[in-house]
Amino acid sequence: MDLGLSPRQEMFRDMVRDFAEKEVAPRAAAVDAEARFPAQTIRMMGELGLMGVAIPAEYGGAGADTICYVIAIEEISRACASTGVIMSINNSLVCDLIYKFGDEEQKRRFLIPLARGEQLGCFCLSEPDAGSDAGNLRVTALAEGDHFVLNGAKNFITNGKEADIAIVFATVGRHLKHKGISALIVEKGTPGFQVLKEESKLGIRGSSTCQLLFEQCRVPRENLLGEIGEGFRIAMVSLDGGRIGIAAQAVGIARAALEASLEYARGRVQFGRPIAAFQAIQFLLADMATRIDAARLLTYRAASLRDCGAPYTKEGSMAKLSASEVAMWVTTKAIQIYGGYGYITDYPVERHFRDAKVTEIYEGTSEIQRLVIAGHLLG
Amino acid sequence: MRIVVCVKQIIDPELPASQFRIDAESKRQRANGHPLVISPYDENALEVALTLKEKTGGTVAVVSAGEPSAISALRKGLAMGADEAALISDPALDGSDAFGLAAALARGIQKLGTPDLVLCGCESGDWADRTVGPILAEALNIPCVSFVAQVEAQDGRLRMRRVVEEGYEIWEGAPPLLLTILSHESNVPRYPKVKDIMTASRRSIPTWSAADLGVEAGDIGKAAMRTEVQQLTLPSRESRCELLDGEPAQQVATLITKLRERKAI
Amino acid sequence: MPGIFVLGTIENGIPSRSTLELLTGAQRLAGGLQEGVSVGLLGPGDAASLYRYGVEAVYRANHPLLKEYQADLYLLALQRIAQTAGARVLLLSGDSLGRDLAARLAFRLKAGIVTDVIEIDIEGSEKMPRFTRPAYGGKAAAVIIPKRFPVVVTLKPRTLDPAAPAGKPKGKEIPVEISLDLAQARTRMVERVQEETTGVKLEDARAVVSGGRGLGGPEGFTLLVQLARVLKGAVGASRAATDAGWVPSSMQVGQTGKTVSPDLYIAVGISGATQHVAGISGAKTIVAINADPEAPIFKVAHLGIVGDYKAILPPLIAKCRELMGS
Repeated sequence: MDLGLSPRQEMFRDMVRDFAEKEVAPRAAAVDAEARFPAQTIRMMGELGLMGVAIPAEYGGAGADTICYVIAIEEISRACASTGVIMSINNSLVCDLIYKFGDEEQKRRFLIPLARGEQLGCFCLSEPDAGSDAGNLRVTALAEGDHFVLNGAKNFITNGKEADIAIVFATVGRHLKHKGISALIVEKGTPGFQVLKEESKLGIRGSSTCQLLFEQCRVPRENLLGEIGEGFRIAMVSLDGGRIGIAAQAVGIARAALEASLEYARGRVQFGRPIAAFQAIQFLLADMATRIDAARLLTYRAASLRDCGAPYTKEGSMAKLSASEVAMWVTTKAIQIYGGYGYITDYPVERHFRDAKVTEIYEGTSEIQRLVIAGHLLG
Repeated sequence: MRIVVCVKQIIDPELPASQFRIDAESKRQRANGHPLVISPYDENALEVALTLKEKTGGTVAVVSAGEPSAISALRKGLAMGADEAALISDPALDGSDAFGLAAALARGIQKLGTPDLVLCGCESGDWADRTVGPILAEALNIPCVSFVAQVEAQDGRLRMRRVVEEGYEIWEGAPPLLLTILSHESNVPRYPKVKDIMTASRRSIPTWSAADLGVEAGDIGKAAMRTEVQQLTLPSRESRCELLDGEPAQQVATLITKLRERKAI
Repeated sequence: MPGIFVLGTIENGIPSRSTLELLTGAQRLAGGLQEGVSVGLLGPGDAASLYRYGVEAVYRANHPLLKEYQADLYLLALQRIAQTAGARVLLLSGDSLGRDLAARLAFRLKAGIVTDVIEIDIEGSEKMPRFTRPAYGGKAAAVIIPKRFPVVVTLKPRTLDPAAPAGKPKGKEIPVEISLDLAQARTRMVERVQEETTGVKLEDARAVVSGGRGLGGPEGFTLLVQLARVLKGAVGASRAATDAGWVPSSMQVGQTGKTVSPDLYIAVGISGATQHVAGISGAKTIVAINADPEAPIFKVAHLGIVGDYKAILPPLIAKCRELMGS
């Protein structure tokens, strides 16, 4: 059993880390404070191939594997969690989905610019009344000639404001429940499609989270992904992949908090000694590092299963559950180590703390992850 | 134009001083599993080479003399856009000073084919001797222009902007030339693209021994050393910084008082 | 034949500051190794003033083509006079000229080389010169000894004090015949551009105000220039600021840039990478102004202000102006 990275993965990690430290981290505090979408960074990431990491080169992607993808998300999120989620959504919930379920024409038309980072995508599943209960959608897509007509509102859509392409899940008939859900590719500018509201958030403030409204929005039939009624399965498969990304994001946030804590503990002197000399602090640091490593290994395992083509739903949920809770715990303790300085915005740990919370919520709350895991255990 | 860029792999020089340890035996920095990187100015040199290639055509080769681990530095060079790479690695090179390394590099560069342009970083990020480049130029019997920030190719000749204390100088010369490159806004190293990393990772890179290159044993290694590191120590710099509190006006007032006490103004 | 050789320059009839620093090193070596000191001069310039510093011989190569710096011609001339002088230790300034020539000269003389030396002493009974230089961006100090002679040594400018006159002047000048041809210059310097901003020279300034990445852009330097002017000092920059093209590279302070040793060094928005710190170790008082309380510059500074320089500098400039005016 080899738990190390290959030379290729190491070279990839070094590049992303270098990029994240030089280009992403210096802007992170401002991106958070001003709730500013890091457009320039995202453009650069597109040029490097980070917006379609695991998509084959023929479709505009970088042709790397899922392990590389989680490495990238961790490194970017360590520098800026907002940038991490923007990237994660585009990679796992948009590009991977079109790659897996799109037809050749859809891949040529939509996937190539998305994977190259020339366009940005968003994933529209949640609704005001359908969060964890994703089968119970109210947005309708009624067939009308060679079009579907979308009506209804979507909620909490990451990248909603900036996205050029939206993957919209809607039902062709509510009485069909899960079996009525279908996935449509909707282009920005389609009449009847608008951003209703941008939310103000606790964390990941550089990424937009929007309410989107569809009113008599006509989408050509050729934009249907997969079959009518296949949407729920598509969403679940996508979320399996997405969860690995969120797990990696959480690991990145936690690592940033640990590294900041180590630096602070070495430099902060109380009672005549650096606080790192106190066992109370040392034990905290040891626990932080151990839990982060455990979460990362779970994440790598899920990614590695995905790369082998093996089932990874349970393992992806475990990784996401573990990593998000570790991130919350580690960032809380990081603030504790910083004391009063951890509570003020001059230092980065309060941002890590705010950013961490959402990882326990989006792409399936911790409770949903536990349900998924238990479902697999009990069969 | 055939361009060869010499790169050195070193322990990341950005590593904080608190993690810097000395190996008493070798009188070098202890590696301790710290990340290894291409010496920063060498990356600027590579960027200059790649930019020249984009403008005027030709090829770029990267070459390194060092430990087998330097293969990853060369691979990064390929991922950034170099066409060819070669590693010179041999236990016989251990302990070589700048003259030994330059002798090996010169042979390696000749084996790659006669170059028009050889680029080196103006100094390495670890020892910063600034000697291998100019000595290599002598070993190759070609002229050298040092501390070059910018290069332009014009009708088969090159124009170099060389940075000096008071400003800069413009130098001209015809290939073959060796330049030592300084960082400049025009040569910020590019990040390798993911797809190029994937391609570069599949390339095989030749490793040449001293014997492969026909380097005389007497010219390299410890025996050929002209100078020796007798001692490497950590400087004792115990300065306690006094942080001045308060609003800006108060901080400034305190600062002025302290500066006058110290007779600094 | 004197064993210690210095490549000198004469400015306005007297030895240049860097030459005097080299002579300090030469005197130390001469005392320890029981050797004499010679100076090499390329081109004209009155040699007489050198003799007061214990110089026994001045080897001069004079040729019209040496009037301005051309590397290949200088190398040929220097090699020739160094061989004529037959020195065991050759001292050059670690300035842009010395850096350009030293390693190639060593190759041609089959000599060893030590660069960027900040301290010279002689090891006891062995009578072995020891050269101290920074290594690893100033994180360590290395002592280098020659394994063979001759050895070429460059001294980091502004680290040794200039030499004081020593004893009775007694030297003599020895002309060295040299024939040069412009065709021997394989590369040519065609233009020299002075970028130095007005006012005090950075290396000579008693007060230096430097800016780095934390200034956020070239416009931040306006405040620094004002402060430097009030303090009758000079403005410097970190590599981050010169690399970004905010200010010319001639303003760079640090290992690759200039070494400064002012009474007061004010680092504004400079993180304090060892590469920068290596250039300010001679500063008597270091003040750091930085928004990032974690910046390593606070580890080397004597006085620190954590805060936005835009809020600190204007009142500081006003206060200093008041003080200087009175």
